[in-house]
Formats: sequence, structure tokens, C-alpha cells
Amino acid sequence: MSASLAISLKKVNKVYHEGEIIAGVVIVDTSTDLRHEGLTLIMEGSVNLQISSKNAGLFDAFSNNIRPINLINTSIELAPAGKIPTGVTEIPFEMPLVARQSSMSLGLLETYHGVFVNIMYTLKCSMKRSFLNKPLNASCQFFVQYKHQERPAPKPVRCEVTPATLRVAGGAAAGGGPVPHFALYAEIDSTVCALDRPVTGQIRVDECSVPIKSIELQLVRVETCGTSEGYSKDATEVQNIQVCEGDVLRARAVPLHMVLPRLFTCPTTTTPLFKIEFELNIAVIFENDYLVTENFPILLLRCKW
Amino acid sequence: MPTYYKWRSAKIQTQKHEYPSLEVTNHPLRVEVRNLKLNASKSFIQSLHKWSSSFEELDPLLRFEQMNLEHNLDPIEKSDDAINYSKIWSVKCTAILNKYTTGEKLTIISSYLPGGEKTLLRQVSNLNEKVKHRLEQLDDFDETSVRKTMGLSQQEFVTKIHMLDDEIKKAWDTEQRVKAFKIAIQCSKLLSDINVMQFYPSKFVLICDVLDNFGTLVFNRLKKKSFGSDSVKFEDIDTNLVPESARETCQNWMFKMASIRELLPRLYMEMALLKCYVFISKQEIKPAIVRLIKMIRGIGNPLVAIYVRVYLCKVASSLFGKESECYFYDNLKEFLEEYQQIFQPAMAKKFGTQLLTADQYLSLYIPAIDWLFSGTLNTVPCKITFLEELLQVCDNTENSELLLCCLLSAFDSPNIIKKSSDILGIIHKSAEHMVLLSQILTSLGEHLCHAEAYRQPSSEALSQTWWKIANNMKSTADFLQVLEPWLQFACTQLSIQHINMLLRGTIRYMIKSSKPADGYSSQIRSAIKRMLKSIPDVEELFLMDAFMPLVELVQTSSARTMMAKTVLSVFFERYNSVQIEDHIIIASLMRLCCILHDSINAVTVEDETKVCADLINKFIQTVSYQDDFQQQLNFYVDCRSAFIKLDSVLVTLVHGVHALSTRAGGARGGWLPRACAAYCFVTVPSLQCALARAQLYLLGAHAALLGACVGQAEANLKALVGLIPDIPQYIQEDGQNKPTHDRVLGLLCNFLSTLLILPDNMDSNSKAYILSGFIKIMERIHWKKTDPLYYTLLLRTLDLLCHMTQEKYVYHIDGVLSNDELYGSEEEFIEVLENHATNICQEILVVLKALGDVKETKKQYNLALELFWRIIKRSDLKESSMTSLAVNLWVLSQKMQDSNNNFAKTMLSALESDTSAEGRRLFDKLKAM
Repeated sequence: MSASLAISLKKVNKVYHEGEIIAGVVIVDTSTDLRHEGLTLIMEGSVNLQISSKNAGLFDAFSNNIRPINLINTSIELAPAGKIPTGVTEIPFEMPLVARQSSMSLGLLETYHGVFVNIMYTLKCSMKRSFLNKPLNASCQFFVQYKHQERPAPKPVRCEVTPATLRVAGGAAAGGGPVPHFALYAEIDSTVCALDRPVTGQIRVDECSVPIKSIELQLVRVETCGTSEGYSKDATEVQNIQVCEGDVLRARAVPLHMVLPRLFTCPTTTTPLFKIEFELNIAVIFENDYLVTENFPILLLRCKW
Repeated sequence: MPTYYKWRSAKIQTQKHEYPSLEVTNHPLRVEVRNLKLNASKSFIQSLHKWSSSFEELDPLLRFEQMNLEHNLDPIEKSDDAINYSKIWSVKCTAILNKYTTGEKLTIISSYLPGGEKTLLRQVSNLNEKVKHRLEQLDDFDETSVRKTMGLSQQEFVTKIHMLDDEIKKAWDTEQRVKAFKIAIQCSKLLSDINVMQFYPSKFVLICDVLDNFGTLVFNRLKKKSFGSDSVKFEDIDTNLVPESARETCQNWMFKMASIRELLPRLYMEMALLKCYVFISKQEIKPAIVRLIKMIRGIGNPLVAIYVRVYLCKVASSLFGKESECYFYDNLKEFLEEYQQIFQPAMAKKFGTQLLTADQYLSLYIPAIDWLFSGTLNTVPCKITFLEELLQVCDNTENSELLLCCLLSAFDSPNIIKKSSDILGIIHKSAEHMVLLSQILTSLGEHLCHAEAYRQPSSEALSQTWWKIANNMKSTADFLQVLEPWLQFACTQLSIQHINMLLRGTIRYMIKSSKPADGYSSQIRSAIKRMLKSIPDVEELFLMDAFMPLVELVQTSSARTMMAKTVLSVFFERYNSVQIEDHIIIASLMRLCCILHDSINAVTVEDETKVCADLINKFIQTVSYQDDFQQQLNFYVDCRSAFIKLDSVLVTLVHGVHALSTRAGGARGGWLPRACAAYCFVTVPSLQCALARAQLYLLGAHAALLGACVGQAEANLKALVGLIPDIPQYIQEDGQNKPTHDRVLGLLCNFLSTLLILPDNMDSNSKAYILSGFIKIMERIHWKKTDPLYYTLLLRTLDLLCHMTQEKYVYHIDGVLSNDELYGSEEEFIEVLENHATNICQEILVVLKALGDVKETKKQYNLALELFWRIIKRSDLKESSMTSLAVNLWVLSQKMQDSNNNFAKTMLSALESDTSAEGRRLFDKLKAM
């Protein structure tokens, strides 16, 4: 007397664009004939915001969680109350992916998993059953992506880092001891990046008086949430990959190459309620743990390449 | 039946037979031994191999090795014209594993191994250190906590790596794919650890294997997902046919790989998964390789970096074969850019603290650079210009020795020879600082040894420059190592004077180094051996005044013996004329032979003695003083005193002297045959083996008779007769006891034939002096009557006695007066002989009876017929006793009639043709029965 419910989407990668039709089947597997009071499928999409604990003091009035913002919410009935025969039954469905029409509507945003901002889409299927039985539920995430837009012109940036440029150019330095003598040259091929292409560039150590321990490329997200009353802005690391290990040859360009992780990145987004932005940090760690970083804000786009 | 038969020999009418004859140039029985032997041996070995191959069970270790090889070769089969890189690779791996070993303790860091002390390793990160640390502490009891196992021996380390490999497979099979991935990452991380550097290349090979296996697991699974089977080859995969789900899975792997934080594991994992790009897009692989080549620049440690490059090339070559060669070249270029990193002070400090010497440190790079070169050289259009470019680089950079060393091993000899003077110039310039100097010079020398053998003027200059460098080398072992190929080069290219100069220089160097030469004896020996093998005319070496002193540079006796043996054996191997005439060479060889002989003592093993004796024998046989007989004899006298310990040498000497004596046959009656005979007579008694002595005595008698020295011949034969009782029944030969029976029989028959021509000793009062002595000895030895040796000898003696009664003997030696002429059939002499014959005949009858007693009917039958034959042929049938004996013997033989009666029938038919009256009468009588 067991029954299970599952949702299977037609598209293997579960990535959909606005206006597309989400097609799939709901699979009911039961060992006996199953009587039910109706089978419904609900499509939900929402933005969850969270205020960081750092800023919690400012928002004493609020709870940490702000009410989720609803992006899409539609439901269809797959089957009226009735009986499902023993065995595996597949019930096909099709739902158009269309944003909710309202005054506050943000449209459909790309799926994104962050620390303070999460944008998620799910399909939920539930089977109501008679009074004594619990309803059966199944859910399945799917991902929304923007349509690929035209590729914008690349915007390369170059910079040189020396002890003299440190604070002035927005770079930061940390660690003990005197500042070593060094000259670095870094280059990002474009600060406007396509999400499914790696971020590329190069870095060169022209001079350095102490040995280098490591050079790292760090992807940082900057999430801002809040309302007119106040907002919080937090930068957290998405991923950090090493580019150089050990004391590399001077005056020789080492390529930078970072594949942007799926789900943890999305196109740079700005809405009245929250913002998602990304930055790149190049960090140079010297043998004596002296640290030099250089920051590049980048714009992520869903675009052709 | 009368028991006593008086023997009377018949006088045989000598007839002159006229037979047709023709002169021949070839001996009809001569065989072309040499050709036959070669053919026979070859086909024999082949057929043997054919037969045995099906039975041959492979050594289990070998079988695994072969299985591995087959397995590795399977997925990538290339066309025949391309080089099979995977084969080269596996050979290389084995070489690396054998060469780079260590006794140091190793450390392994992994979370998937049981045991080991739990250590928290804080990873380098610039963010949230504190938080991370706390989290790690929480993780401590988790499976993923990192453990560090220290103090592993090399073997344990290898086992651990294999365990990790198994762990990956196990995890994979139980659907824990992420765990497998993590273990693979940890394995590749081990490669960033350069403690215990001398093990690094081996560690690399081990871990490569693990990564390859992991890559194959992923690849095969994706193949299965795409095509339902994993038997599809890489080349045949069409990206467009890959289903969405497989592509998605592959993408996931790639994202996972791309987010590995550390550079080195990320590089290794991408390489391991490189072939999986084919499921996303085939075109993406080659750009990825190009990108990886550049990304390796980020590895600061030169040792780690070059091995990453090696792995990249390995992966590329397994995917693209011939097309991958450009990547070898690109990697080589990258390596040359970062070449100076190898010599940075930080690295020097590191290998210094690990107690490695600079040359050991540099040798860690050699297999890697060799590998890069191996692919590069197949893609370079013109090798010589490429070599010129690289030499230019060498000339312009500091510390070029490592590159130079690898150039020498990578390029082929013709190109190296063309540029040899440039190379030597570069070496000369910085010889002072080079730590790989001996290795470089050695391999340059080896290349030059392949030069065509004509004397170029440049060779001399090369050799001089080389000497300038080598002479300043500090380590004697290095110097000798370098010397070896260069001596060969000098031998093939330069004049005798020049070689001699080098040898003199070597002696001076050895003396100057003030270390005893004994420690280096094996190196000196191999140098001398190569010289002997390579010099066009081996005699010339002995004519150099520095050669013998060099040979005798070592002082300990064992080293000297080895040296002498080497020189002699190589000399005789290469020496192709039959005789040595040069006095200097003879003296030198004599000296070496003496060293060899003196080394033999009571504890020397038999084989060793035999080898020495063979060498000395060869020497004695080849020395010739042409017509100076006296000198030749003196030489033999010297040899006897010098090589008294070796019996086989003494035998050779005796043979040599006999040959000398007969060669001088023209000087009949001169002093030489006497001197030779005396030499032999004196030499022979010192031999151990009685049989050999006996043989030599007989030979001595022959030689003396030929030289008309009757007295000496008699003395020899007398000594021989006296020796007969001492001849043992068995002698030791090649570790086996062999019966002497046949040999003694042959020897004594020969002896009896010799007695026919030996003139009797007139001074003694008994006639047929030696023969009588022989018969007496025969009586004295208590031979078993039924011994075939005994009765055959009796029959032969009977034959001799019959012949001695003839008026004219059947053969003579010119100049020796035999008994027929000496006695002229004197009655008293004949009487003595007939008496002996009667006795012997009687003895044979006794033997017949004895044979009958022990039921040896077949032997009895044969002996009876033999005697019967002698009676009808040799005895005087007019004597009734002879006839009746013959009849009796016939009756006896018929009684025991054998199934095979041919023998008797033949005799009867021979008797039938006898025309004499007595013969007819006997025949009729026998017929009547």
C-alpha cells in the first residue's frame, strides 16, 4: 500500500527561458489502486532576501527574513478526483513560463544562489487524498535563464600595482612587516563578461624583492538588500582559484582563467529591493604573508559569444 | 682335446697389388664445418624455441607487466609510420621507477587512508581564516578530515598510492563519484610536495597512473552514457551524437574541476579529464591544451612545473599521436623560458637541506626534458638548424649544462658529430662550474665513437680540447668514466702517437691523484677493454710504451689478474692472424700470462683455472719464431718454467715441441730432435694424469723415431710400459667420471704398431726387449680374464707377433733399421716370438673357458671365431696342432651358433678361396662336419 510521486522534466538540464513551455511528466508509482481527490501542479518562483547579522541592529524592527518576493505562481489541475490504477502512470503536462503581471512585478529573474539573496523556481505537485490519508507531494527545481543578448563590446582593463599605487588606486594591503618592493601588471580582457565564458586575463610579476607564495583570483559577490529605510551591503567570496603557486618567473605573463560557477552567479541585477553585483580580486601573497589585492568590478551578462 | 697348441706363424708371400689410383685435391671426408655449424645452430635454436614456446609459462611478474602493456596499448592504436608514444612512455616510466629511488622517509597526506596521525592542515587562504579553522576542528571526526602519515618507507608509500588507486575504483563502483574525484585531487596534490626530491620523478609516475585511471573511469562512463558501450574509440566519437544527458554530466565534471582552488590539482585534473571534452566539443580540446601550456607558467617550482608539462604531453600524445608533437615543442619552448628557475637560490637551499648534491638535483630533470625532446625532434623540420639554435641558447645562458646534457642525449650522433667542436667549445668555456661535466663529456664521447672511421684533422683538435678539460677534473671516478668513450674515439680516429700520449696522460693523472688505482680497477679495465675492442689493429696497442704500464697500474693481485684476463681474452678475440712474431708483443703477453698463472693457487676453482689455461694455451700456440728453432725451443723452456702449475699448458708445450721437432725434419740427426725429445721426456713426468702421460710418451716415441733417435724412442716406450698399471679405470672430466677403457685400448694398439718398427735393444740379453716387457706387465696386472680390453689386447699382441716373424715388415720409417733387417729372421729371435705366441694363444683359450663359465656366450663365440680367423690366416696350417685347434674352435663356435651367423659364414667363404693344400684340407674337414 505504497505510492510515490515524482516530477520529471523533458529538458535534461532543466534550464528554461521566459516564454518557453515547461513540459514533463508526473510519475505516479503505486502498488495498489490509488484513489485521490485531485492532482494539481503548482509553479512557483520567488526571491528570498535575508539581512546580514552585521546590520541586524539597524533593522531591529524587522525580523531577519524579509517577506519573499513572488515572481511567478501558477497552478493547473492535472487530474480530477478519481482512481489511478496499479503500476506506473505517467501524466504529461505543459505549462508556459510567464511572469506574474502586477504593478510591483520584477519580471522573471535568473536563478541564483547567494548568501543573502536567493532566486529559486520550483514545480510542486500534490495529490490530495481522502480524509485519513496524507496528501502526496513532490517538488522539482528548474532554472531560469535570460535569453542570450547581443554581445557588447569588450571593455579591457589594465593596471599596474606598485607600493606607490596601493591605497590610491583602491587596492588594499595587509600583513605584517615593511612593504616589499614590487611591480605587478594585471590585465582583464573584459570587465563585461558572458556568464558561460571563462573570465580571462593575465598577470605579470615584473619585479619583486621577496619571493611570492601565491597569486589568487577571487570572485566576489556584492549583495545589497533593503528598502528606503535602510539597507545592508555585503561582499562574500563565491570562489577563489589559485593562478600562481610559488615564486614564478619575473616578467612573464601568466594567464588568468576562471570558469564562472553555475547557480552561484547570475547576470548583474539591480531592482528596487535588492542588488546583485560581482567583483574580481587579484590577491598576491608574499612569502612573508604580506598580502596585496587589486579589485575589479565586473558586469556579468547572459550574452552570446 | 689336446690342451697345448704350439703356435707357428706362416710366412706370408708379399704380393704387389696394382690398384687404379687418381690424384685428388680435396679430402673426400672433409666437411665445411664452419658453414654447417652456423646454419645448424641457428635453425636448431629456432626450432627449439618453436617447440618450447607453447610450454613456456611466463613469470607472474612479467605477465602482469605484459598485461599492463597490452591494456595500455589497446585503446590507442596508431598507424605504423607514427611513433608509438605510449610505448615510449611506458619504457620511460619503468626507467624512472628504477632510477629514482630513496631511502628517506616519505609523507603522504590524504583523508582516505586508514591510520596515520590526525593533523589539521590549515590551507592558505586570505579570507575567514578563523571561521575556517573552527569548521575544520568540527570536521575532525568526519571522514573528510585530512590525515598526514609520516615516516613511510618508499615501499610503503608505493603501497599507499596503490591503495588510493583502489579506493578510487571502489568509490566509483559504489556510485560515490564525488569521493573518487576528491581522492584523485588529493593524489595530484601530493605532487606539490617536493620533500625527498630524489623520489619525485618516481612519485610522479605513480600518481600519473592513478590520474590516468581516474580519467579513464570518467571517460568510459560518459561513453557508456552516450553510446551504451565503452568500446567506442576516442577518434570515432562524434560530438553531435552525444545525448543531452551525457553532455550535461560532462559539463558538471568540468565545472567541478574548474572550481578546484589550488592550481596544481586543477591542472592535473583538467589533463586527466581532457579527453572528456570530446563529449562537449571536439574542437575545444586543442585550445585547452594550448591554454594549459600557458597556465603551467603559474607553477613557480621548476621541478613541479616540468613534470606537469610532461604529463600534459603524455595526455596529448595519447589523444592525438603524431599531431601532438607540436605541443611537445611548445612545452619545450616554455621550459626554456623558465630554465633559469632551476638554478634559483631557493631551490639550491631546498636540495641542500635534503642533502642532495647538485648533480643529483639536476639529474631529476633529465627524464622530463628527454621526454619533451623526444616528441619535439619528430616535428622539427631540420634537426641541425634546431640544434644550432639550441646551442646558441646554451652559449648565451648561464648554467647551460643541464640543457646541454639533454641535447646530447636527445639528438642523434650524426648531428652531434657535426657540431661537436662547438659543443666542446661551450663545455670548455664553463667546465669549471659544471656539475654534470662528466656526464656531458661521456655522452659526447659516445656520440663521437659513432663517427665514421677516417682520420679528420678536427679529431685531433677535439681530442686536445677534451684532454684540457678532462685533465682538470677533480674526481678520479668521473675522469675514468669520461676517459672510456674518448679513448675509443681516439682509437678509431687518431694516430698511435696520439693515443699513446693520452695513455701517458692518464697514468700521470692517476699518479697525481695520489689515490691508489686499485679502487678504480674496474673502470680502468673497462676503458682498456673498449680500447682493445675498438682499435683497428690490436697489435699496435702493445707497441705503445704507455699501454703496459697502464695495464699494470693496479697493484692488488686480484685486480691485476682480472686485468690480465680481460686484455688477453679481448686480444685473442680480435687477433686474426695465426702467428705472433713481434718480440715486444710476445714479451708483453708473456708478462700478462705470468700474472694470470701466478694468481692460481690451491683454492682457485676449476673453471677459473681452465679459463686461464685456455688463454695461456692460445698464447703458446700463436707464438712463432719462424725458422729460429733454437729461440722457439728456448721460448718453450721459458714457458715450462713459468707455467708449471697448469697441466694442460704443459701438454700444449709438449705438443708444440713435437711439432717443432718434426718441422725441423730437414736437420736429421742434428741436435734439435734430441733436444726436443729430451725436453718432452723431462716434461711429461710432471703431469698428473697417467693416461695423458702415457699418450705423450707414445707421441714422444713417434717423434723420436721420426727424428731417428732410437734410444729416446725406446726410453719413452719403456716409460710407457711401466706406466700401464697406473692408468686408472676412470678419469675425472668435466665433473664426470669417464671410463678410460676405449682410450687405453686405442693407445696400446697404437703402441703395439709402433713396436713393429722399433729396432731391438742390442745391449739387452732378451730378444724383443720392449715387447717382452709389455707381455710381462700384462701378466703382472691382474686383469679380469673376461675383460674385453684384456683379450682384445691378447689378440692384437698375437697379430704383432705374427707380423714380427715375417722376413720383411709391412711398414718402415726411413732411416730406422727395424728388426726384420736387424735380425734377418734369425732363428733364435723367431723362437722367442713363437714362444710368446704360444703362451698368448694358450691364455686366449683360458679366457674362452672363463667366458664359457660366466655364460658370456656371445663374447665367447666372437672370440673363438677371432682366434679361428687368426689361425687360418696367420698360422702355419701344416702344423697339425694348428689345424686341430682350428677345427676345435670351429666346433665350439658352431655349438653356440648365434642367430646371426654371418661372421662364421664369411670366414668359411674366405677359407674356401684359400688355394693352399692345407687350407683345402681344413675346409673339407670343416665342411664334412
